[in-house]
Amino acid sequence: MPPILPQKETDRNVITRRTAVLGFGAIGVFGVLAARLYQLQVLQAENYKTLSDNNRFNFNMLMPERGEIRDRFGKALARNVQNFRLVMIPERTAEIGKTLDRVSRISFLSPGQRERIEKDIQQNPKFVPILVKDNIDWETFSALNMRLHALPGIVSEAGQGRAYPRNGVFSHVLGYIGRAGSKDIEADNDPLLKQPTFRIGKTGVEAAEEKILRGASGRLKVEVNARGRIVREWPDPTTRATAGKDVWLTLDAELQEFAAKQFATEDEGDDSGGVCVIDIITGELRALLSMPTFDANLFVSGLTQSDMDRMNSDPKRPQYNKAIAGGYPPASTFKMAVMLAALETNLINPAKRVYCSGKTQLGNRTFHCWKRRGHGQMDMRDALKHSCDTYFYEISQIIGIDAIANVARRLGLGKSYDISIGGGISGIVPDGDWKQQRLGTGWRMGDTLNASIGQGFVLATPLQLAIMTARIANTIDAVVPQLVIGQTLPKFEPLDFDPAHLAYVRDAMWAVTSEPGGTAYRHHPFGMDASVNGMQLAGKTGTGQVRGISAAERISGIRKNEKLPWKLRDHSIFVGFAPFDRPRFAIGTIVEHGGSGAKRAADISRAVLGEALRRDGMAETPVVETGSLN
Amino acid sequence: MIARSGGFRGAVPASGGSLTTKLFEINWFLPTLVGVLGLVGVTMIFAATDGAWRLGALQHFIRVGAGGLVMLIVAMIDIRIWYRLAYPIYAIGLILLIGVEFVGVEVNGSVRWLDFGIARLQPSEIMKPAIVLALARYYHDLPSHRINHIVGLIGALILMALPMSLILRQPDLGTTLLLGTTGVIVIYLAGISWRVIGFATLFAAVGIPLFFKFGLKAYQQERLLTFLDPSRDPTGASYHITQSKIALGSGGVNGKGFMQGTQRQGEYVPENRTDFIFTVIGEEFGLVGGLLTIAMYMTVIGMCIWLSLKCKEMFAKLLILGLTTTFTLYIFINLGMVMGLAPVVGVPLPLISYGGTVILAVMGGFGLILSAHLHRGVELPRSG
Repeated sequence: MPPILPQKETDRNVITRRTAVLGFGAIGVFGVLAARLYQLQVLQAENYKTLSDNNRFNFNMLMPERGEIRDRFGKALARNVQNFRLVMIPERTAEIGKTLDRVSRISFLSPGQRERIEKDIQQNPKFVPILVKDNIDWETFSALNMRLHALPGIVSEAGQGRAYPRNGVFSHVLGYIGRAGSKDIEADNDPLLKQPTFRIGKTGVEAAEEKILRGASGRLKVEVNARGRIVREWPDPTTRATAGKDVWLTLDAELQEFAAKQFATEDEGDDSGGVCVIDIITGELRALLSMPTFDANLFVSGLTQSDMDRMNSDPKRPQYNKAIAGGYPPASTFKMAVMLAALETNLINPAKRVYCSGKTQLGNRTFHCWKRRGHGQMDMRDALKHSCDTYFYEISQIIGIDAIANVARRLGLGKSYDISIGGGISGIVPDGDWKQQRLGTGWRMGDTLNASIGQGFVLATPLQLAIMTARIANTIDAVVPQLVIGQTLPKFEPLDFDPAHLAYVRDAMWAVTSEPGGTAYRHHPFGMDASVNGMQLAGKTGTGQVRGISAAERISGIRKNEKLPWKLRDHSIFVGFAPFDRPRFAIGTIVEHGGSGAKRAADISRAVLGEALRRDGMAETPVVETGSLN
Repeated sequence: MIARSGGFRGAVPASGGSLTTKLFEINWFLPTLVGVLGLVGVTMIFAATDGAWRLGALQHFIRVGAGGLVMLIVAMIDIRIWYRLAYPIYAIGLILLIGVEFVGVEVNGSVRWLDFGIARLQPSEIMKPAIVLALARYYHDLPSHRINHIVGLIGALILMALPMSLILRQPDLGTTLLLGTTGVIVIYLAGISWRVIGFATLFAAVGIPLFFKFGLKAYQQERLLTFLDPSRDPTGASYHITQSKIALGSGGVNGKGFMQGTQRQGEYVPENRTDFIFTVIGEEFGLVGGLLTIAMYMTVIGMCIWLSLKCKEMFAKLLILGLTTTFTLYIFINLGMVMGLAPVVGVPLPLISYGGTVILAVMGGFGLILSAHLHRGVELPRSG
């Protein structure tokens, strides 16, 4: 056993010394820590405050209210309505599938919708509300609200949606809105487009006037936590959203609805076709209608497959805007252009008579007049009045296609017009160059003869036919159509035809409707109601042939249109203006497979022009937001 | 100055003093300061949990109270008893650590806990005072001429190596290194000669890199490096440190105000109730609050050193200084980590961070310090 040794004094001195060393070391380390704290909290404080704010604040986008689209009298054509919808916040439910099943029992969710919802849930953080269903009707919405307690994670809200009243009569013009696609986002860097609930104009005026209608997003300053959830909002009035501006159209809603009603038939639903009413002085479009229509509201709420199939399989192609994108042979309505070319080139004396035997021989080809027995002796006025094909076969050979094409173009054919909705086609005014380019073969005289009666290669839209007629009626200005009421009145190019020649054409058009023997004469007297009685219509019928008629058929007798399948019937065409003595409106109407132009299209045109005049007499001055039309 | 009754050596109460006398003789400044730091912890946990008492603040308060009681009880117990219990406590700590090895509970990928049904215990926390007790006794018993002897040194190293290797296996590198550093400092304080220190340093400087390079496989090296410097892991710790620095820096001089910390409200700083609680202090009370906290810790440490100087026995001195070392290292590592100066290793800020075993171990440690001081007049046997 070693003795218990007393600790030596030196041991204590050593430990004290060494404690002091460590103590000073510790003070040094604390000094470093304090210095570091000073560096962070004083020297770099500003920097870290900024970083902290960057962490903390997010800017949530506030969506602007979309501008409305109105007709010339301010009636709403596209407006905003309450949109009842369901959203799901995935983090609030453990059983997403079960919840959706329960929702589906009250308001059916198609497999496609389910797929989209599940995809959205996967692609977003769990606290982001995902749209389950929108545009829910009030009854279903109430039923869902009653059962909300049994639907964990589901939130019901009333947002804003787009509605298109007036039964789809404006669908082609207005277009519709939808979620921005990847191409839209690429072309437009407005961050609004990336918001899952934001809608942009996809077609029509909605797309063309998108910039005006959209407005500007607001920003809501929100404080968020590390997971992006909002802790609190910081209301700031300067960052409120700016609502989009309303867009006013030159159209007259009630006139357009009236026109749409004229397309109704007793047994075949709505006829297919287009009609365009234009102000011959200002070029403002009063009606621009394509029939049949479709319900644009379906596009907003999401088209079902059956809707889509029904539309795509309809031979009357309801989605297609025939008024600006339907190219039809203008048929006899083209004869005004030929006539004007004859007068302008001074090659034909209008009083000169041509004998119509019912056909014209060109080489070994025979060109038939619509009247098999022939019209007999015809001067220029008679030829238009009776729509004698032979006369135009004969004179077109003298005038030549180049002069005819030139006049047709100056009258507004063969050109597309920017009326701020896309999709308009230019139609075709053929000549030698055109044929060489398009078909690679040379122009032949037979082509001229076909063109002289508006058949063959010639194609025009109802809009172009209305413009042509408006220019004939206007005399001075080369009127250009206008659909959106803008800040300035358009300046027109001079038409540059001899006014006397135009007067001669107009007189012949009056004969068509107002003299016995005129192709539209049986519709005279005008048949307008008393208030506009005395206003006279001038016009021209056209019957667009859609099938070749064989020689054999001509011998055995041409089948009556009504006995042909719908697809093979002639297009019924009419152009006109009124009143005759002081023109106000021009019209171009095409009824697809509507038979003779003297019938369906003429009936519709007469009624619509009459209504346009009646409404114009009654109409108040249009109210324009910025006073542009004063 | 105190000499009131006989049986005391000098002015110091011996074990024979009555309980009441002892209670009066305790250095009350230290437990008061420790209690205040505990209350700072309660306040900051309250803020960190956004004003929810039940998410830790209340529990911390109870633990501080219980810990205070433990501290006083430990303080009243005669230093001779602690001297006798030094090795048994160490042994119990080792047994518990071995227990962790077999029936430990896994939390966040490490097995550090023993579940006793009513409470969970972290034996590595108990090992921290236990190793100091063991080393203090070891050097108290070791004749001073043997301190530098190779056998004397190996004995101390074995005492350290046993718990360290067990804790490293959990794995908990932070605690292992903390234990090792504490041990080395105790050996240093015990008076080991500079010659041995120099030799050991040289050995470590050459041996550790060699071992790292040739003794470990590539994936083990990578794991060790990531463990030492978690900012190597780009998604995890560097984010924590960035957010931690933002919280401190944005606090500025005066802070954002109590309960006003936006980094805290936004839950940007993870673990701000436990290891990162200093970010709440720094963000809401600024440089002023941070320096005040550091000053309080420095006062506690300075006080402990002062108490150690009052003691005569080697055991008492080493016990106080060893425990103080552990406490100080806790603070250094934690603050260094929070301020972006040290790697992120899960070390709490003592007394302030939420966590049960730590509070009890730390306050028990202060109890030992107080006991050593209270019984500074008691002579200890030397059984070496």
